Amino acid sequence: MCFSCFTQNFWNLLVLGLADGFLYALVAIGYTLVYGVLQLINFAHSEVFMSGAFAGYFILNGLIGTGSPHGLSSVAYVVIGIAGGACGGGVIAFLLERVAYRPLRRRHAPRLAFLISAIGASFFLYNLAGKEFGRDAVEIPAPFTNGPVFSIFGAQVTTYYIVIAVSAIAMLVILDRVVAGTRLGKGLRAVAQDAETASLMGVNIDRVVSQTFVLGGLLGGAAGFLFGLNTGVVYTMGFTPALKAFTAAVLGGIGNLRGAMVGGLLLGVVENFGAGLFGTQWRDVVSFGILVLVLLVRPTGLLGERLGRSA
Amino acid sequence: MGYLGTGTLTGTEPARAGGGAERPRLGWLRRLAASDDARRLGACVAGFLLLAVMTGPEGSSLAPTSGFSGSLLHPRVFAFIGLGVGLWALITAKRRYGDRARRLSEAISAAPRRLLPNRLARYGIYLVALAFAIVYPMALSQFWQNVLVDQIGVYVLLALGLNVVVGYAGLLDLGYIAFYAIGAYSAAYWTGALPVHPPITLNPFWAIPLAIFAAMLAGVILGAPTLRLRGDYLAIVTLGFGEIIQIVATNLQSVTGGSSGPASVIPHFSVNLLGVHYKWGLGDLPYYYLLLGFVVVILVTFHALEGSRVGRAWTAIREDEVAAESTGINVLKYKVMAFSIGASTSGFAGMLWASQVGYIDSTLFTVQLSILVLVLVIFGGMGSLPGAVVGAAVLQWFPWFLRVHPLFGFQPEDLFIYLGALLVVMMIFRPEGLLPSRRRKREISLAEHGEGTADAMTEPEGAEP
Amino acid sequence: MPKSLMKLAVPAVVAVVSLGLSATAVPAGAASMPTFTIAYEGPLSGGNAQLGLNMQYSVELAINQANAGKTFGKLPFKLAFKAADDQGSASQSPTTAQELVGDPSVVAVVGPAFSGATKAAEPFFSQADLATVSPSATAPELAQHGWHNFFRVVADDNAQGPADADFINKVLHLKSVYSIDDATAYASGLVKAFDNRAQALGMKVTHVTDTGTTQCQNGTGDVSEYGASATAVKSSKAPIVFYAGYYCDFALLVKALRSAGYTGKLMSDDGSLDPHYVSEAGAKNANGTYISCACADLTKSVAAQPFARAFKQLAHFPVGTYSAEAYDATNAIIDVMKSLGAPSHITRAAIVKGLAKVTYKGLTKVVHFQPNGNISGTAVYIYQVVNGKIGVIGLAP
Repeated sequence: MCFSCFTQNFWNLLVLGLADGFLYALVAIGYTLVYGVLQLINFAHSEVFMSGAFAGYFILNGLIGTGSPHGLSSVAYVVIGIAGGACGGGVIAFLLERVAYRPLRRRHAPRLAFLISAIGASFFLYNLAGKEFGRDAVEIPAPFTNGPVFSIFGAQVTTYYIVIAVSAIAMLVILDRVVAGTRLGKGLRAVAQDAETASLMGVNIDRVVSQTFVLGGLLGGAAGFLFGLNTGVVYTMGFTPALKAFTAAVLGGIGNLRGAMVGGLLLGVVENFGAGLFGTQWRDVVSFGILVLVLLVRPTGLLGERLGRSA
Repeated sequence: MGYLGTGTLTGTEPARAGGGAERPRLGWLRRLAASDDARRLGACVAGFLLLAVMTGPEGSSLAPTSGFSGSLLHPRVFAFIGLGVGLWALITAKRRYGDRARRLSEAISAAPRRLLPNRLARYGIYLVALAFAIVYPMALSQFWQNVLVDQIGVYVLLALGLNVVVGYAGLLDLGYIAFYAIGAYSAAYWTGALPVHPPITLNPFWAIPLAIFAAMLAGVILGAPTLRLRGDYLAIVTLGFGEIIQIVATNLQSVTGGSSGPASVIPHFSVNLLGVHYKWGLGDLPYYYLLLGFVVVILVTFHALEGSRVGRAWTAIREDEVAAESTGINVLKYKVMAFSIGASTSGFAGMLWASQVGYIDSTLFTVQLSILVLVLVIFGGMGSLPGAVVGAAVLQWFPWFLRVHPLFGFQPEDLFIYLGALLVVMMIFRPEGLLPSRRRKREISLAEHGEGTADAMTEPEGAEP
Repeated sequence: MPKSLMKLAVPAVVAVVSLGLSATAVPAGAASMPTFTIAYEGPLSGGNAQLGLNMQYSVELAINQANAGKTFGKLPFKLAFKAADDQGSASQSPTTAQELVGDPSVVAVVGPAFSGATKAAEPFFSQADLATVSPSATAPELAQHGWHNFFRVVADDNAQGPADADFINKVLHLKSVYSIDDATAYASGLVKAFDNRAQALGMKVTHVTDTGTTQCQNGTGDVSEYGASATAVKSSKAPIVFYAGYYCDFALLVKALRSAGYTGKLMSDDGSLDPHYVSEAGAKNANGTYISCACADLTKSVAAQPFARAFKQLAHFPVGTYSAEAYDATNAIIDVMKSLGAPSHITRAAIVKGLAKVTYKGLTKVVHFQPNGNISGTAVYIYQVVNGKIGVIGLAP
């Protein structure tokens, strides 16, 4: 344990933590949305994340190749990459619901069966990705030149962090509006509150569930792309970030959209503080430790479980 | 399906217009898509096309579509489409002539039961199987003897333990291998192989109870608080716990040897008791008999447990937790009991394995391994002892069989693709497993008709917000 | 119950093995020419598959070339190749070892690739008198178990780590170092040897472990970001970072270091001796990096270029880490087999004895083993990235 390492790097770690946190928040929303409507943990969400990263990689690889874009074209490539990642994630999430969830839902299978089926789908997907796209990591061609833009108390904020923050905030705001204001959002909230009544009132449950998966998939896929920009893309990349995002969702109160956002940011920051304090090799232990603690002390999370659930 | 993919995020009326415009032109398609037969045909063919991709050539990051095109734009695809259509025809025929087919399949599945009308005959069969298990491995080559011990025997033990957790108590434990690691590291510690030395160095045999105790203790410590939570949280907590154990084992190099493992060798078993001296060596057969002995003891114990008060309590919890609680069953106590019995079995298996191979390192205890054991239990049949044994044996034997006898271009690196698909397919079509326990099968079908839960996933009292 | 299935399996296996033997024993066109199998054991699946494949194709290439008479002239026997996957894991390698031991046509093994897998498998190979020549297992203690059949063509951690510390201290004249390892077996052994020497030289050593990402090696599904590490390095003001690990993670670390504003020197080991390091870190970030390797510069060597070409033709990807070592290991075995003369003299035991005495000039070095199986004469070369290209700058002191 090294307290001075922590105090010296406080601002640096905070910036890092927020950047991580935005990504966790995007992925955490996927868990929370699905949990809201189905009361199930989507174990295969990690593969949605991975698919988004691959989709973004293939698109940008095709468009940029070996070039090094700058200026407005950088912005365009980032937007295209995010859109591509989101579509990749959305498609996989949609298929996932169709294949691994819907048949079980039709049959009213026990919850254990859903979890197992999702775990199976997750293993299937990421190993298939390894087979089809190669098992070595690949680099997404940089859509922008990364470098320090400004600094807060000596902590440099680079282009990459700004890209993450801006795009994540934009997506989170859009999502909030979608859930609050659109037909889709109303259906979603209705099903989350009381699926049976919603169905009696004419809400097509199958469609809402499907839309919910896609919505979570869009954000998860976009996050996968943003994550892959820095670390490269590899078929096993989904597991740890997704587990942490789940932690974030629980931290904020699973089923609660704003909770997932807050939980994501908080987890990112705490985890990086932990890494600064105990050493980076204990980073994951810190976040899983938080998960266990939160579940034990306050299983409903910081903001409580909601998403229209009668609480 | 028409309104998807057109960007639900951007518009307030997601792509209604697009779907509407297509409607008149593709009306026949819609009508076709609405017919159950066509949908089933589509699903069958799609499934087999996926199988074609799974068994097809590898792609690479430079040519991401080459794997797909190599498996789909190749004459072999017709064989797969043919199989898909065949399956559909079979299903359709079964639906048309369903009654007769069902009667036939019931007759077939009931046949073994009719052949085993009473307990005596069943025990007879078990005895024959045991005799076979004792005699037959002697005729095997060294390689298959090793497969029998390292790849099958140890996993049978693991599956039996997880079966108590998943099958009997209906809990999902995804960090099961953490206990295996704890057992293995205890073995290494007590035999003096780790960089940190124990107060007294023991023979592996005397380390057995200590390893079991360590794993059980870890199970109770982890289980007692987390088993209050709803079941899917337990899955995540155990997953996190498994990760933590692996990270700790990697990082605490001065204690565990980290990812390069301890430098010294974990000794083989030896007995030196009441004038009997025996030392297990490199040979696999002695270890096989040791394992067989333990498996038989565990089978008998678990069988007794299943029929005891404890077993009935587990059943009650699985079938309806709230009802169980209200009849005075201490739900938490029985859950912790199942969890720690599973944990200690896992620790025991780890202990045996570590002593047999003589070497451990932190890279061995991955989440994948936990999932693998889960697949073994699910495949065999949750809650069924013969299921756990046969599931583990078949699934662990098969990849090695395919390796020396390569059928359909199977590649070992694709194993988890198949296992993943197997889990999904089993959950959809046969959640009760290959050799289901009769009780479990009934529960699942009851749960599907709205009675009971068939698992312990519901929120116990007090956790509800 | 497993037994009823074994009943089916065993005759099938026996049939296959015997089929395989009869098929290979009489190759078409070359009647009565005996066939021997050189096997390769390493990870061909799982997270480490790429490293394993780098070696597998080299072994196969060496065998193909020998059969075609390109490398050793006309041989009085045919060689066959067999790949055995151990996933780089000690949980699979004992069984894999038994598989190879049980195949009577296998006369020598290239591998096992990983140290842990080697530790678990070697007792079986040793018992069967089957020579194993590892291209990549670097744990020092492997040579201390007294396995008479164990050889390796790669320098162990004790050769490279201290040489790296000497280089930093005596050539770069730096007095403190920040050493990072990726927690893999390879890196943690290496960094231990490095740290010990650096401390013995009176240097200030700050050591951390930053668990490697999946990227090249681990396969655990963990992608760390190195941001926190980079800030820690920067605030330590160490003049040089020594990274023990593989190129993918080193590239990520270097990117993070440079973007955090760290301006000190960088150094890594042979795991980072890969052109991908420069392409992934970016030439601007990577320039100036020192990389050490107990291997000669392959890119400049005339002999190595046809090898690289032939490798790419066979594998469909370029040579990578340990490809050349695996090629040398295989050729050393073939050299021994050739020197044994008549095929009837070629036995497992004879190959073990022959390897103990062999001197074969390979691509990376002259293959000659010490009595404990380690390669002798382990000169450590220092490379540097200059203008985006990795080139040798000299021998380590």
